[in-house]
Amino acid sequence: MTENYNPFSLSGKTILVTGAGSGIGRATSIEASRMGARLVMVDINERGLLETKEMLEGQELDHLFFVVDLCDETAIDAMVKGLPVINGCSNNAGITKLTPIQFITSEEMERIHKVNLIAPMMLTKYLLKRKKLSRPSSIVFTASAGGVFVASYGNAVYATSKCGVDGYMRTAALELASKGIRCNSVNPGMVETPLINRGQITVEQHEKDKENYPLGRYGRPEDVALATIYLLSDASSWMTGTALKIDGGLTLK
Amino acid sequence: MNNPFSLKGKIILITGGAGGIGSAAALACIHLGARVILTDIREDALQTTLVSLPASQTGEPNLCFTADLTDAEQLAALVDFCPQIDGLVCNAGVMKLTLTQFITEEELTRIQKINLNAPILLTRSLLKKKKIKKGGSIVFTASAAGVYRVSIGNGIYATTKCGIDAFMRTVALELGPKGIRCNSVNPGMVETALIGSFTDEEKEKEKLNYPLRRFAQPEDIAYGIAYLLSDASSFVTGTALKIDGGMTLG
Repeated sequence: MTENYNPFSLSGKTILVTGAGSGIGRATSIEASRMGARLVMVDINERGLLETKEMLEGQELDHLFFVVDLCDETAIDAMVKGLPVINGCSNNAGITKLTPIQFITSEEMERIHKVNLIAPMMLTKYLLKRKKLSRPSSIVFTASAGGVFVASYGNAVYATSKCGVDGYMRTAALELASKGIRCNSVNPGMVETPLINRGQITVEQHEKDKENYPLGRYGRPEDVALATIYLLSDASSWMTGTALKIDGGLTLK
Repeated sequence: MNNPFSLKGKIILITGGAGGIGSAAALACIHLGARVILTDIREDALQTTLVSLPASQTGEPNLCFTADLTDAEQLAALVDFCPQIDGLVCNAGVMKLTLTQFITEEELTRIQKINLNAPILLTRSLLKKKKIKKGGSIVFTASAAGVYRVSIGNGIYATTKCGIDAFMRTVALELGPKGIRCNSVNPGMVETALIGSFTDEEKEKEKLNYPLRRFAQPEDIAYGIAYLLSDASSFVTGTALKIDGGMTLG
């Protein structure tokens, strides 16, 4: 009988998710728990983490969470030391701020690049150094369609960080393949998360922007979460170095 | 537990269904709750595949239909045979290595008809006859060849697969507002009959170009197809899904 057949299952796997306190990270944690995973959740926002933890399935699996500022390399290493061996990692924490290029400051740029680009690189480094990644295992980066496939006004800093993530993802895929560690990214268009509702863009502008999406809507956190799960699961065991575009057709024209 | 990758109750038409990626996709679809309609030019192999598959859980039987999709009448007959479908997997394809100076128009036409014209015309006819449901998903088996990498002697195949991806994106744009999604899987070398012309030695040497150090099993591609057919990918359209063991990295 095939009732329980599921090549996308994460049963028996321990999965680390950064940015698990909201948005895509929260959805990824919830969906991964529904697919049988034990979660290790990381965020700077403790309240968000606690809320996510309540929403998980499989409470008997003893899901873990860590309140960590991923801009702090020492804190990353300290956290990694205390981790169990994991089978997958969703490097998802990210921030954005729209700034026209003539107003970019190096402080602002460094802040965004630290969270979006340097943190996943350092986390991956310490996971490897402390031998916390099982063989095989799968690392997924939340990159973006922004920068990688399409540019938009005021998005230069975010776009460069996400292009950087994809460049890193491919390099890591090449270097780690022989260890059985796969690396891929999910590259969403606009997703309905707290990240897009910081008051810089009006509701009307968002509605107008949705006309650029052939599917007529923005993504939902679940859309990105389920793609991440496909890449974390053994269903994708021959995939490495792939950027999976999830953009409702935004980049077609 | 609800599986977001489930294909429960969906009807999926798969071309090239008699073997390789097509039959692996059929098996994955059935296991995930779908009912399949397989088509292939190879009648015996098609029958063998059909009887080897588990029964569909939908209560209706899986079906097969022998057709040469380069023949307009047979293609039309297949479309008439089909009920309304939720998913289409345009997967049938052929490959033959020929150095550019030895390409004949006959060979070029034959391969393009199978790999490129047939999926275009089948998609057209299914749409025209309103056989693809709203919310449906179309998946093309394209390739890493041509789209991401070229290799010696593979000019014709590579051309057809680039063509398929351009068609896929166009259909995605046209059908997005109708809620029909369109994507491709783009595999590297897969252990199927298609690569049977390579010697074992050639294959072992070629594997060194793959960071994961193996060729794909048909299932590796079938799961990508299943993801794209399922509602788990409902915001994915116009995407070429590279499944290549890292081959295109170096």
